[in-house]
Amino acid sequence: MTDEARWLALFLPRLATDRLKRAAPTLRDERALALYDKIGNAFELTAVDAGASKAGLRAGMPLADARAILPALTVFEADAEEDARALNAIAAWCERYSPVVVLDAPYGLFLDITGCAHLFGGEAELRAGMLERLAAQGFTARAAIAPTPGAAWALARFAKEEASIIPPLPCGEGKRGDVLAALTRLPVEALRLDPEAAALVKRLGLKTIGQFAAAPSISLSARAGEHASLRLAQALGHAREALTPRRPHPPVTALRRFLEPLFNVDTMLIATQALCGDIVAKLDRRGGGALRLCLHLYGVDGRDRTIEIGVSRPERDAKAMLRLFREKLNLAAENLNAEFGIEAARLDVVQLQRVEATARTLAAVEEVAGGAENIASLVDVLSARLGPARVLRGKLNDAHAPERAGGWRSVLNASLIACGGGAGEEGRTNNCAVESSNSTQMPSTLALGSRPLPPSASPQGRGGEVLRRPLTLFARAQPIEALATVPDGPPVRFRWRRVQREVVRAEGPERIAGDWLRGEPTRDYYRIEDNEGRRYWLYREGLYGEAQEPRWFMHGLFA
Amino acid sequence: MSPSPASVANANSASDFRGMAAQMAVLPLHEVGPAGPGAAVAALGFALGLAATWAAPAGLVWAGEETVFAEEGAPYPPGLAAFGLDPARLIVVRAKKRDEALWAAEQALGAGALVICALGASRKPLELKASRRLLLFAEKHNTRCLLLKQADGASAAWTRWSVAPAPSRAHDLELGAPAYEATLARRRAGPAGARFILEWNAHDRAFAERFQENREPVFRQEAQP
Repeated sequence: MTDEARWLALFLPRLATDRLKRAAPTLRDERALALYDKIGNAFELTAVDAGASKAGLRAGMPLADARAILPALTVFEADAEEDARALNAIAAWCERYSPVVVLDAPYGLFLDITGCAHLFGGEAELRAGMLERLAAQGFTARAAIAPTPGAAWALARFAKEEASIIPPLPCGEGKRGDVLAALTRLPVEALRLDPEAAALVKRLGLKTIGQFAAAPSISLSARAGEHASLRLAQALGHAREALTPRRPHPPVTALRRFLEPLFNVDTMLIATQALCGDIVAKLDRRGGGALRLCLHLYGVDGRDRTIEIGVSRPERDAKAMLRLFREKLNLAAENLNAEFGIEAARLDVVQLQRVEATARTLAAVEEVAGGAENIASLVDVLSARLGPARVLRGKLNDAHAPERAGGWRSVLNASLIACGGGAGEEGRTNNCAVESSNSTQMPSTLALGSRPLPPSASPQGRGGEVLRRPLTLFARAQPIEALATVPDGPPVRFRWRRVQREVVRAEGPERIAGDWLRGEPTRDYYRIEDNEGRRYWLYREGLYGEAQEPRWFMHGLFA
Repeated sequence: MSPSPASVANANSASDFRGMAAQMAVLPLHEVGPAGPGAAVAALGFALGLAATWAAPAGLVWAGEETVFAEEGAPYPPGLAAFGLDPARLIVVRAKKRDEALWAAEQALGAGALVICALGASRKPLELKASRRLLLFAEKHNTRCLLLKQADGASAAWTRWSVAPAPSRAHDLELGAPAYEATLARRRAGPAGARFILEWNAHDRAFAERFQENREPVFRQEAQP
């Protein structure tokens, strides 16, 4: 532990019953409430509320005994998953105090409040405010602040209210003694020992942490004893302790708390502007730019509203960030539900990228002149307002299946969006084969009319180029009724969108074998022109003999 | 075939499509619409062709309403590549609503991009204000906008084209180059009514006017309103 670290341990002794009472307000009037679970072969209480506790009930007591003591007891079956969910929700709520929140299941949390307390008027005020708000939301809670997680944990559970903060000391020399002094009268269980280790230490006659610390550690050579020594060392700050935060610590973060809750978007934007300024100052120090930013707006009602923006190149300009947040905030204004106000806001850089300062090359100057810079910020603005999945750039894939031959990617996150209804995944390119991709290879009898194709009629021969792929593709190929004169030939007329269309010209077939792995049938594609010059991309699904009855589909339109 | 009065009236400036296109290239807003049912893709092809012939240093943005993509199919990258447009240089914006599409088009014009804004059918005609805004954005940022929509209501566009597909002119068994019958339905600076039969050459990225056997341009008399 570094000397300046400050940890807050939160203990929610009645989380399980408080959670039930919050969910069902009628339960609040119950005199005594307890939860039970089947442990081994017996029903045992797992949690009791204050009323039940006053009557002498304890967790671990058999349900039958509890009923005998308190016949009016209301019991419910325990649900550890719901408890975990409630704890997680509280942890999310606690992120308004610090970005580093560690879950300490089943009933506790750790918050790394190093450098955070001054935003809330000091550690005592932070702790008091937190407990007050939790109480207002119906949670019984205890909290303690200490230089180590272990010490804070011990104080939160076993110390008296007035001794719940171990103040930081300027010099490291006296500090450890101070932690020990605060913990010395607490029972050894306060060291987060597992039950067997606690039993061992107690059997040795060491009841308090003070006695335990004074005992020569050599005498505790048993395995459980080693565990106990480690816990003591961690509590006192002699040994390091690795805690995993609930979510990864954002590389750069800025937090602002407001004297008065904010109600309207304009004031929130002013706050966001300030946060963007803070973030940019920190980014400059780290020589990085933000790729993704997340703004948390913590409401007085206990809810956390998050607004996330992404940019296409590392951003270190507060104005540009603010512009994107303005779009999002204006759009989300009615969904913010900020009628109770926003009391704090935090801006995290979720993704950071190094920005190398480079000299402006000639190419870069040309890029600027060409407006590439503008396009990058245009993409950011469009993506922020419409969503990244709606601002797309095309991509050609090396695949034969028409649905997979081209796709659209979000410009911002480069995630693939399917262009057709078919699967949009890449990497499965080698499983479709073209058996006949050139119209000139087909037997002439299959074509409409009987004149064989002149050998000189290569498409490039006549100035205009024949387009083999349609300009637009339907998300799902649309079934059509088609009539073909010969079984393997193009249709002579077909009905699409309730209109009968006469085929004047047809090119094909272009046979595209289906993906055998997916069990797709073979398709014969035709390029069709009708009597009014409209052009279509049709296909017949299934070969004669392969499928019972071939079906025709409209897949795309040529311009 | 004798030249029609309309084509004579146009003869000074834009008797051929090349001259017309050169004029259009410097004007900020043009409108393209289908001449009839089933001609929407032809209108799209005509608009994309125009966009491809114009320089777009900042890129091309195609802002379309989702309903258009559902009705006429979504842009297909291999097809765009075959048409002569690099799909990797094109940004497609799929807007849920008309307002969003217009907003995206304005933003893109503000960034200096060449914009194709495709609007779906709607009961309410587009307000003059909306097309006026596009015009001003394009003018201010020295770029151009092609507004693709049904002909309805007043518009601030410099020209309005009504496009239908034209039958292919190739051997019996083949489809030739994409062909359009484009009618200049409205023109702010000059008489309208000229009709061109155009073929798109994807390789040269140019429209070629189709001439009849005697090398006369194909002009057909437009019914005067």
